[in-house]
Amino acid sequence: MTDIIWCKKDIGGGKVCDTVNYLDPYCFWNWEGKVGCAECGTVYYVHMIQGHNYRGPDEKPGEKADILPLYADKPNDGYRCYMPGVEGRTRPFTCLPRAVYLGHADMVKFSIRGHPVRGWRPQPPSTGVAGSCGFFWDIEKLSPEVWAEYQEKIKKGEAKDW
Amino acid sequence: MDEKEFNKMKVCDFDELPGPKSKEELEEMKMPFEEYCRKAFDPGNEMTKPMSLAGIRWLSTTMYIFTPHSAANLAELGAEVIKVEMPRMGDPMRHTSPFNEAYLYPLHDTRPMTGTGFGFLNANINEYYITLDYHVPESKRVFYDLVKMSDGLTECYRHGTFDRWKQGYRQVAEMNPRFIYVWGGGFGYGPKIFGGSYDILGQAHAGLASITGTHEDFGGHATKCTNWCIDWYSGTQIAVAALAALNWRHKTGLGTMIEFSQVQAATRMCGYTVPLYGRFGIVRQRWGNWDTQLCVHGIIMTGKVDFPDRDNPQEKFESRYVMLSAFQDADFKDLCDIIRKPDMFSSYKSHKERVGAPAQMEIYKAIEDWAKDKTRSEVVKIFKDAGLLAAPVMNDKEVYESEHFRQRGTIRWLDDPLFGDILTHCTYSAGSLSKTPRRLMWQWRPVGADNVKIYHELLGYPMSKIEELYNRNIL
Repeated sequence: MTDIIWCKKDIGGGKVCDTVNYLDPYCFWNWEGKVGCAECGTVYYVHMIQGHNYRGPDEKPGEKADILPLYADKPNDGYRCYMPGVEGRTRPFTCLPRAVYLGHADMVKFSIRGHPVRGWRPQPPSTGVAGSCGFFWDIEKLSPEVWAEYQEKIKKGEAKDW
Repeated sequence: MDEKEFNKMKVCDFDELPGPKSKEELEEMKMPFEEYCRKAFDPGNEMTKPMSLAGIRWLSTTMYIFTPHSAANLAELGAEVIKVEMPRMGDPMRHTSPFNEAYLYPLHDTRPMTGTGFGFLNANINEYYITLDYHVPESKRVFYDLVKMSDGLTECYRHGTFDRWKQGYRQVAEMNPRFIYVWGGGFGYGPKIFGGSYDILGQAHAGLASITGTHEDFGGHATKCTNWCIDWYSGTQIAVAALAALNWRHKTGLGTMIEFSQVQAATRMCGYTVPLYGRFGIVRQRWGNWDTQLCVHGIIMTGKVDFPDRDNPQEKFESRYVMLSAFQDADFKDLCDIIRKPDMFSSYKSHKERVGAPAQMEIYKAIEDWAKDKTRSEVVKIFKDAGLLAAPVMNDKEVYESEHFRQRGTIRWLDDPLFGDILTHCTYSAGSLSKTPRRLMWQWRPVGADNVKIYHELLGYPMSKIEELYNRNIL
């Protein structure tokens, strides 16, 4: 299996690139193409079938890479790394979930018995030193619109004891 | 006999003897027991009574549920518990469940869009929240200052981590000999000392999962409890040990170290499993919803649900389980008559005949065959009317709606000072104390919310120092 390409390209001055390029195992499970090293840009051809390296990595000088690694690091150089999404070095990776999960969170303002809940976002920052905050979140002052809605609920009898 | 001689004969005063001492007390003694209990426990008025652990200060350098819950147990009883979290990050449990969804904001000033999930609720109640990064050498002094001002600590780090950081029991006992130190390790010391743990690992490793669920012969598998029952259980067990240690300290003036292995906690819940193996070499098997010691004494499935029109699948499809108990001969005879199988009683007249596995398989099948055209509530009513013990298997909505739990205050609404209306079952489900009840004051607070209260008001650090430590990410 080849889920990394460890680039040993001579970069001159008696030094080698010595960079581990991490390929995304899901994309590469059945994949054929060229990957560019995140550090030195050397292009390697790999052909993977069922997660196993069928051919490569073979250097392809002068050719353009189809894809970049997801992440790369240099274990012999203090694990200096290129995080995902570094332009020109690693693949863009926005870490966003699938579209169906991209809806806005439903910020509930009332519990099932019709009393106000709090803690929806964004909350105002605390005014205290070192992140300290008070004990009471006065809903009437801090969320007057929810307070007003609550008063309406009380009038309509929608705020129940249980 | 003169008074002096009389007093010599006395071994106590009349006022010290049990019994009513006033008209009010006499009235109280005449109360029916039910009424007495209602008055004594008085759900909802806990705050008017004293707290048994008031004056005890405990540090909770914990994460997730198992160890935090041990400290929360003390906080419910009135101890002042200080929860120490990593600056800006907090307890990882804040981000864990359910399904990594956050509902309560903010986590911290610096992370206004990062909230805390409901899985964090109930495990850290009534506590003060401070931050401290133990990895930084400057934090040592701060940590020791906290230790000197506290009675005990619960920690959950890997074996020897605190010891290596020079803040384990061996070091802190030299600073505060009265200190009670709890290490809630995953495996605890022993050959597997390197292992961390989770609740599911505890259930699996201690043998509990192997005897939970239905036997493979009936399509079942080794099963874990859906909820993290070992986390909650072992947290409470730690609290028991801490209370014993406090009593020991009261006698000797010395603290102690409590080592608690989460994976061994579940072993205690395995009942006769271990002695059975010891005597006969028999490895206990799963017996699911039936009972290995009593029959009939189990959960059966009815053919129809109680709420076919509801949207919630727990109601629409699952409101069809009934707990049934009729193991005495006379009760079993009644049961056989109800399900119109009087001949079954002739086959299994004695408890010994009924409790064997083949008999149980036949008996429960007969009951379920009879219940195929009935709903859960119909089955419960039929058995109850016949004087047998039967109860529906209720989901949490039904528990919420249960008048019994409501009147006892087991489940109740808390108007949390920060997070508003929260339905909660913690605290009040752990037994009632008439004089010094458990209480729930707040669920939790944002990361570092009490930094000033603890570092400035308790330890006396100047505000400038707190700000400096905060800006350097040490707090």
